[in-house]
This record gives sequence, structure tokens and C-alpha cells, in this order.
Amino acid sequence: MKQENIRNFSIIAHIDHGKSTIADRILEVTNAISKREAKDQILDNMDIERERGITIKLNTVRLSYKYKDEDYMLNLIDTPGHVDFSYEVSRSLAASDGAILIVDATQGIEAQTIANMYLAIDNNLKVIPVINKIDLPSADINKVKQELFDTFGFLDSEIILTSAKTGEGIKELVEAIIERIPAPIGDENKPLKSLIFDSLYDSYRGILTLTRVVDGKLAVGDKIKFMQTNSSYDVTEIFVYNPNFMKIDSLKAGEVGYVVASIKTISDVKVGDTITLEKNPCSEAISGYKPASQVVFTGLYPTETNKYNDLRDALEKLKLNDASLTFEPETSEALGFGFRCGFLGLLHMDVVEERLEREFNLDLIATSPSVIYQVLLTDGTNIEIDSPVKLPEATKIKTISEPYILTNIFTPSEYIGSLMELCQNKRGIYKSIEYITPERAIIHYELPFSEIVYDFFDKLKSISKGYASFDYELIGYKPSNLVKMDILVNGVAVDAMSTIVHKDFAYSRGKVVVESLKEVIPRQMFVVPIQAAIGSKIIARSDIKAMRKDVLAKCYGGDISRKKKLLEKQKAGKKRMKKIGNVEIPQEAFLTVLKGEE
Amino acid sequence: MHSVYIHIPFCNNICSYCAFTKFYYNEERVKKYLDALKNEIETNYKGEVIKTLYIGGGTPSCLNISELKYLFDIIKIFNLDEIYEFTIEVNPENIDKEKILLFKKNKVNRISMGVETTNNNFLKYLGRKYDYNLVKEKIKLIKYIGFKNINVDLIYALPNETFNDLEKDINKLLELDVSHISTYSLMIEPHTRFYIDKEKEIEEDIDWEMYKLICSKLKENGYKHYEVSNFSKIGYESCHNLVYWNNEHYYGFGLGASGYIENIRYTNTTSMKQYLEHNYKEELEYLSNKDIISYELILGFRKIEGINKQDFYNKYNIDIKSLYNIKELLENGNLKENSSHIFINYDKIYIENQILMNFVGEENEKV
Repeated sequence: MKQENIRNFSIIAHIDHGKSTIADRILEVTNAISKREAKDQILDNMDIERERGITIKLNTVRLSYKYKDEDYMLNLIDTPGHVDFSYEVSRSLAASDGAILIVDATQGIEAQTIANMYLAIDNNLKVIPVINKIDLPSADINKVKQELFDTFGFLDSEIILTSAKTGEGIKELVEAIIERIPAPIGDENKPLKSLIFDSLYDSYRGILTLTRVVDGKLAVGDKIKFMQTNSSYDVTEIFVYNPNFMKIDSLKAGEVGYVVASIKTISDVKVGDTITLEKNPCSEAISGYKPASQVVFTGLYPTETNKYNDLRDALEKLKLNDASLTFEPETSEALGFGFRCGFLGLLHMDVVEERLEREFNLDLIATSPSVIYQVLLTDGTNIEIDSPVKLPEATKIKTISEPYILTNIFTPSEYIGSLMELCQNKRGIYKSIEYITPERAIIHYELPFSEIVYDFFDKLKSISKGYASFDYELIGYKPSNLVKMDILVNGVAVDAMSTIVHKDFAYSRGKVVVESLKEVIPRQMFVVPIQAAIGSKIIARSDIKAMRKDVLAKCYGGDISRKKKLLEKQKAGKKRMKKIGNVEIPQEAFLTVLKGEE
Repeated sequence: MHSVYIHIPFCNNICSYCAFTKFYYNEERVKKYLDALKNEIETNYKGEVIKTLYIGGGTPSCLNISELKYLFDIIKIFNLDEIYEFTIEVNPENIDKEKILLFKKNKVNRISMGVETTNNNFLKYLGRKYDYNLVKEKIKLIKYIGFKNINVDLIYALPNETFNDLEKDINKLLELDVSHISTYSLMIEPHTRFYIDKEKEIEEDIDWEMYKLICSKLKENGYKHYEVSNFSKIGYESCHNLVYWNNEHYYGFGLGASGYIENIRYTNTTSMKQYLEHNYKEELEYLSNKDIISYELILGFRKIEGINKQDFYNKYNIDIKSLYNIKELLENGNLKENSSHIFINYDKIYIENQILMNFVGEENEKV
């Protein structure tokens, strides 16, 4: 294929604006799949992705299309649709020469529309604006056109109107890709320079590295070098996906494909790294590489202690496909053996936890998520901690600093007041409000990151009736007046329930936590005090009354087997609880601590 | 020696709280049912001497005289011991002199009446179709005909019931001067009117206070608390119920009835269709020696006096204190012992499931 006839493009959009369905229709129009084959959203692999309507892992497809008697190769590089994965999005975009920006005709521009658009601009991409879902009765095409003009300066004539549902506008879109997006401009004769923009594990083929060749040529049998990690591998196979895996011999400048090499672990494949040939390397790597950084940490424990090995196996399997997940063994007095896991963000954490439970059939207890705190000790040393348990005792601490984020909350203007109040309650520092249109605005706040790991997103959605969207970037550390709050159940501190809180909020938060624990911990055979404490000082207390009644009075007709079954069932229920001291604590209790706010 | 339970699943009226297998009374259906019952007994009864017989329901007394006569004819199959206890359950609104005389003639020596409450408003609420005067009248009649062993049931912890209401209820029951009283707190169970109407059970603390009130009032008045929900005058404990708590063998005949014969605990079908087609048993539980001991414990500890250590040793050739975590439970005061018995701490009787749970499942799984 001539390089002039190659087009590499991505699709970017806010969640639910129809990215995956548009991708499916493009596959249909290019005959990559027949209509009959087209399950909805064929590019989204996992059940969870399909259910949540989001894309987590990338899939890159090679399509062919005949236009004005010329054959074209179109490489659709699918991008993940969530803020947690913005670095991955940015690298996928770096592998593209153009992008389709989809906006929902009924919703208009939202937070991630803007965030993704900026990423596209940063990567010098030619952007084709698309208004999708025009078939819906509530579509307001003119309003969205106006927003696209006001926000990004797109003209009416540039905008393509589509309905992924009916297929309207899709052919026009594909032809716009050919006409407007530039062909790659790499030099096949230069030394190999190829961008890694994803990796995945396939049980048949092993570790697959997704790459876009910028210059030169990559062929089966080549000895390649990853420039960041400075490690070498032999290329054993190269595939493209169309959308079935098809073996090919080589990739030339401008082409995109999956490379199989003698790579042992997926963490050796760093997104953003550059592949070159060992014998004839390129002079410098592609710029923009960043190591994956885990910003949220949580302890994951099996409910049944004997499932520890199962959890480790499951994490190892997930890690095969997810280079950005980290985990290391951790021990909790309350929960036994588990793992401290690091995630790129909250969605990433949710998805991993859900996959562990669903795909690996594990019952898990997750401790309160934590961010990384920087602690300056009185002896002048600096330490970083990712768990409240690791916080040294108060007398040894000079200051604690916590990470802050800058939010972009995109909202209809009527919710500005209540959203600002929400940010204020979360220790936010007001920065500015930008009006995109008279009806829509972006609120910028600086917030401690730890405040959004609890329930910020849920609150935001409920306050704005689902209309506000939200996106953030980490902006660095600031010292805060933070303390460790312990929870004592029947006088025993439950390490897995400790949290780091701002001192001014400790009393109210402690009160809420003990009250909500009182609701979820069942009565025991004795009175159980639940206390919140800072150091040795008790700041809140609530008592769980002693159990009064637990008896099967009736035994009519001598139905004794049933009585025994009920006892067995009750016992099994008890076994699912965690025994701390002599108190049985159900799984929900640990969740309650992390959600414990009014 | 064995015991027999016979289930009569018919009622004239369905009470709002009842979750047991029951059908509206219907002559044709009763006839077919009694035929099947006869067949079940003939097929399965092996001729053992029977020491207690219990006809429960439903409402056995809703059968008419000729049906009752047929039922008693069927019962003649059994080889009754010389000293026996033979109980029949009755409702106040469908017994009369003729039926009571028929009971007496057929060797019934214990009558259990579902009184439930003496408060006419609560009777209405429970869906019972009589008032307290009728109860008084029928108890008088039963005694007049010569029955000395009479049980009445009391349901307490009804929504909106006050301690004052309960105290009045107990006082009126005491006036009846019967030999045995069974008490149950109201449970809202699936498949009942109350459940459908989303009635809620009373708060646990109140329920417990009510239970304490019942225990103390009945004890003050000469009743012995011998099992979680049962009280009797001395010598009038229910022999039939003790068969259950002593882990002894009994046949269960009739729809949904349960039995324990040899090393099998079984439960009959609750499907009338299946039953009439002579497909009686639905669930069988084969018991190992370990299971039998587990039952011995969860049943035996229901008795206030508990389990006799020597009897236990004689029966199983093992020291009861070596089993499960009984030693630990004695140490932490959940169980107590005297020279002859091990028993649940009286203060913990109303939360005994927490203790009994230790005796099901694996021996080393403490809870």
C-alpha cells in the first residue's frame, strides 16, 4: 500500500456519545463486518465495558475502502473513554494523524469532549467534528453546532451529521476521513522508529504490543530494542486485526499493527516507549513518554482467608492485560493477608475490583482508597505513604502534604450554585468559572484528591441530575492539617478502617462513620461500642445494642431438618463475616467506612 | 418405642399469619386425603409400639363427625402403648360436645387449643373467627367431659401490642387454668396475608421484654418453663414434643409432615396432587453418627434443664464435654452445668441460635 493511501485516525468523545457504535458502523461500511455479524459495539471486548458503555482497552482495526478508484487502508485506533486513562488516550492520539470528534446531538459538549479535543490539538491532529444521534427526537442540532463553533471554532460546513443507529452520514464520514485526514509522512528508508501505544495479553498469542511505525520498517525476525527500558527482543509474529487477527510479514512507515516478540511480562511494554532495531537504531526516541503512575491505592482482601492464593493468581492474570495495575502483598490485623493495589484512577479501581469479583468469582473486601501522602518527619526525612496504616505516630510528623487536583466540572448553569457548595464541602479552593455558552459553564476548583476518591462523582451526578460531567488533572502537593482517624470496634482498633482525614472534618466524619457502622454491624451477644479516635482521643461513639432475640420458636410437625438447615445457613452467613476481636463484622461495614458521609 | 405425627391440612378459615401447608375444607378433598393417609400409614408403619400420637394441622377439628370417625379408624392401625399421650389440635369455633366425646372415646387424652390471644381486637387482626367468650365456654366443656391435659397457644409481640395488653392476655389465660401453655412471638413469614400486607415484626427489644414478662408471670403462677416456648404444670410436659427434643424416633404422616425413622430424617411432599398419587416422601436426609449427635445437641439444648450428661454418654459412648467447643462455651458462660445436666444459660435462651450454631457443620468451625 502506498503511504499516501493510508489514514490513521482515532475517535474521541465524551462517554456515551456513541463512539463505539460509530466505530461499528464504520466497520460495516468498509465491509469489515457484515450487518448480521455486528454485535453491538464489537470493539469493546469485556462484559464490563459493554455494560457500562465505556471502552477501557484499545482495539485497533485495519480497514480497506475503495474511493474514487483508489484503494485505501484505514487504521481505526480506538481510544479509552475515561479521564483515568488520559495518558493512554494521548498516546493513541499520538499514533494517529487525525481524529473524529463525536458530540451527542441531545447532550452537546461535555467535560471529556473538551479534554479529548485538547489532547487532539496537542498531538497536532486534524479533527473532523461529528454530531451523532441526530435521529433522536430530542436532538438539537443547531444548538450543538453553535457550541462547536463557540468552543472550538468549527464551521457548519465542516460538521458531519450522523446517526449510528440508522447509518445516516457514515459513508460521508468515511470519505471525509480520506479527504481531510493527512496521510502519514514517515520515511521508510530511515532507521526504525515505532511508537508503542498499547499492549495486551491474548491467551493464544501471548503478549501483543500495539505499535505505529513512524519511520523505517519492522519485520518478522528483526531484533528490536525498546528504548526506554533498553531491552531487546526477537519479533516472532506480526498481526493486523480486520477484525480478525491476520498474520503479516512486516509493517512499514505509517502502518499500525500488533507485534509479538519474546517478551516475558507485560510490564516490560511501556506505553509511549519507542521501538527501534538493535542493529541500526534511530537517533532519538519519540517524545512524550511518561511512566504509568498509580494515584489511588486500596487494600484488597479475600473475604475467606484461604482464598489468598486465588486472589494473587487473579491479580497476576489481570496484570497480563493491564500494565498499569500494581499490587504487593499487605497484611492487616483485621483482614489477614491481602494486597495493596495501585490504580491510575477511580474508574480503573472500580473496574479491576469488579473484574476480580466477576471473572474470578472472588468475594473481596476493599479498604478505604488512599492517595499518596508526602510526610515530612521531625528528623527531616521525607517519606511517601499510600496507606493510613503506614502513617508514623503523630509526634514524629512535622507536616503531611496531600495531592491536589484541578477540576473541570462541565455543567448546565442552573447547577453551579449547588456544585460549588459540594466543592466547598470537600475542602475545595475556588479558581474560576468559564461560560462556554450562556447556559453551560466549566467550574474550576482545586480539590484535595483524597476528597474525590470517596463519593464525589456520585454526588456530582445526583446534584446535577446527571447533567454535569467532570474531569481532573493532578496539580501537585500541598501541606494540610491531616490526622489519622482510627475506628475501634469493641475497644479494638480495626486497621483496615483507619482513614486520613482533615482535622477540621474529623469530628463530623467520625460521627457519621460510627453511626453508619452501627446500622450495618448486626447485634452481637453483647453490647458493642463503636468509636472513632484520633490517637488516644475518642471523638465519636455509638453503641450497638446486644442481640435480644435469635431463636426458632416454632417447630410444628417435628420439622427438625428445616431447623438445622436454618442454623447451618445462619452459620454460613456468620462465616462470611470478618471476626475482629470477638465481634463479627460484615463486608458492607468496610464499604460503609469509605462511603461514610451524609 | 416410636411416636406418630399426623397432619390434617384443612381449615375453615385461613389465618393472616399462618405459613403452614393448608387447604380450605372441602368434603370431597378430605375423603381423598384420608384415603391417601391410610395408604401411607399402611405402607410405611412397621408395627412398633407407639407412645405418643399427635394430630396437628391445619385444623383437625374442622373435620365433620364421620370424617373424624374415619380418621380414628385409620389410627386403630397403630399399636398404642399402655401409657401413651394422644393429642389433637382444635380450634374453638369448630368443636362441640359430640366431637369432644368422640375424641374421648378414641383414647385422645390431650387437647391443644389454638387460642392465640384473648383480646377480641387482636383475634380479628389475626384473622381468627371467634371471640374470647367462646374460648372460655369450650375450655369449660372440654374439662367437663373429663380432659385434664389441655394446652393453649398464645401469640405475642403483635404490632401495636402493649405490655398492658400482654399482661391482660396472660391473666385471662391463667383464669382458664389449663395444664400447658405454648407461646410464640408473631413471625411474619412469606406466603402469609401479613407478609403480603407488608406487616412488620415488632422491635427485637420489645419482643424480648415481652418474653421475659411471660416467663416470670407464668412461673409465678406455678408453671414450669421446660422448653424455650413451652410451660406446663408439674407432670404435664408434652411427651410428644419431648420426643423431638430428646432426638427420638417418630413417624410423620400426611402432607408436609416430617419424620425420623432409623437413620433417616424425611419430609413429605407439600403438593396435594403428589400426595394423592401416593408420592409421599420428598426429602430424605441420611444421618451419620456425627449428624445424629449434632441433632442431639441442637434439640436437647432447647430444654431448659438441658442434656443429661450420663444419658448422653450411655447413648453415644462419648463425653459430651469433649464435643465441639462445649468446654469453651461452658467457660464463657453461654452453657452451664450442674451435677447431672449441661444446659444453656437461662439468660441466653432467647438467643440460643447463637449457641446452637456451634453444633452444626464442621466440628472445628467455631462461630
